[in-house]
Amino acid sequence: MTSFAFSGRWWITVAVVIVTAILLSPFYWVLVGSFMTPAELFGIKQSLWPSHFAVENWSMALERLWPHVRNSLLVSAATSIGTLIIAAPASYGLVWKKPVGRHVLSSFMLVTQMLPAIVFVIPLFIVFSRINLVNTLSGLILADMTFTVPFALIMLSAYMKELPYELVEAAMVDGAGPFWAFVVVVLPISLPGLVTVGIFSFLIPWGDLIFALSLITESGLQPLTLELYKAVGQYGIDWAFLLPGSVLTAIPAVLFVILASRFIVAGVTRGAIK
Amino acid sequence: MRTNAAYPSRSIPGKARFDASPYLFILPFFIFCLILLLYPVAYSLALSFRQATVETFVSGDMPFNGLTQYQAALADPIFWRALLNTILFAFFSILFQFTIGFLLGLLFQADFPLKNFCLALLLIPWVSPVLTAANIFKGLFNEAGPVNRICHLVGLGPFPWLADPGYAFPATIVANIWIGFPFNFILLYAGMRSIPTDIYEAAKIDGATFWQRVGYITLPVLQPVSVAVLMLGTIYTVKVFDLVWIMTGGGPANGTHLLSTYAYQVGFSLLNFGEAAAIATLMVLLVVLLNLLQLLLQRR
Repeated sequence: MTSFAFSGRWWITVAVVIVTAILLSPFYWVLVGSFMTPAELFGIKQSLWPSHFAVENWSMALERLWPHVRNSLLVSAATSIGTLIIAAPASYGLVWKKPVGRHVLSSFMLVTQMLPAIVFVIPLFIVFSRINLVNTLSGLILADMTFTVPFALIMLSAYMKELPYELVEAAMVDGAGPFWAFVVVVLPISLPGLVTVGIFSFLIPWGDLIFALSLITESGLQPLTLELYKAVGQYGIDWAFLLPGSVLTAIPAVLFVILASRFIVAGVTRGAIK
Repeated sequence: MRTNAAYPSRSIPGKARFDASPYLFILPFFIFCLILLLYPVAYSLALSFRQATVETFVSGDMPFNGLTQYQAALADPIFWRALLNTILFAFFSILFQFTIGFLLGLLFQADFPLKNFCLALLLIPWVSPVLTAANIFKGLFNEAGPVNRICHLVGLGPFPWLADPGYAFPATIVANIWIGFPFNFILLYAGMRSIPTDIYEAAKIDGATFWQRVGYITLPVLQPVSVAVLMLGTIYTVKVFDLVWIMTGGGPANGTHLLSTYAYQVGFSLLNFGEAAAIATLMVLLVVLLNLLQLLLQRR
């Protein structure tokens, strides 16, 4: 596809590279800064490259953060799997089986996407503290799912609308029950959609702060984000810890983007516009 | 879609009876909705009419007291400051996110080497956790940080970023623009891609300049996408919490509070859950109002 403007001109590449560099300079700063001593980071002469790589920033940060990385991994993986288990059959049922009341459910999903987190945080805190789910990872997982499930349902419904339903009908004619047809036919053909939604449902709890902040006070259970948030203490900011930690928190998302950029553009466009 | 419509009329032997399977597929989701979505929302609304403070929370009765929480919220000058901040925050964030996203979208209509790589890199601010962005900008706006260094180079400052609400508030907006521009960019980029190129070719032959083509073709054809982007942007920015909570905590002197951070402070620092729930309800009203306003503006 040729485009309407200035295609194939050499200065476009130069312009895009410069614009990209400017827009990503904050990220460059944290990346390079995570290898600098605070004195170099905020000194009189600030350089674009560390005079020597303060690898000890990273080793100390990793040592302190490792238990919290484990908590985050556990919570994010469980949220992602739980979300798919709930949302995949539901979106199939809503899109292809057309049950009564499906419009009410779909609209309710859109509405919950509009609600600010505080609408969920306060009641969940009160209810969870009554049934002893505060300070448990399962409580945090359930809370995170209030973000991921509506999002997953919207994305997966849009995805499933475009899949060939004839395959399911064929399987049913061949004698498969509705559940079996779902497992053998629907799940495999919707795998790309499931993977995308699964990854997003991993990244959302991975970056969550508000639920962890309000539901988890026990330091052994705190996820990565909460431990980093708390590093900004009353004695000022320990940048040598905070910057490697911030980079570490971004690693799953950055990996994902670089590995699957085309996928995201397609997925986001489909989910948001339709 | 068409095949779905044909489905019920097609007769599969033994399938004439009422088919319960759709409901079974939806059942876990339905239960989840009731317990973890609908119940909390209803609870939050009910809570806004109840006295839910530390004492009543421990005793567990939380008596009904009508609109007292709303009156208390509306009588608080910090609430009005937070409301004004939320509107300004949303307005300036969206204005710049959209402009940057639109210009980038135009730039990326051309084909050039490294295109997909640059596109992927530009998504990083948006997919990274907000905490990362918040800490980055906390560092950049540090009193001895790079922003003041650059200001110094051109003979300005140093400015008390993050130490003075008049500077801290714009600093949080800058950080939020950085987080949100990629979202605007990819949606607008995808929207522009779907415009058929022969319209442009025709306009070009008729002698339309580049900016005329943008103004008379791209913008009008892109309008439905733009409206969707702006509405989603409004929803997202009114929800912003982590960024401001990490960068400033609503301070200094409660000057950078958004409604979200203010509600959180009232709930979890002052332990007045009833009033926090009332502010939360008012936030929902604000989102609805802003979206209606955009729809009305679009109709005209």
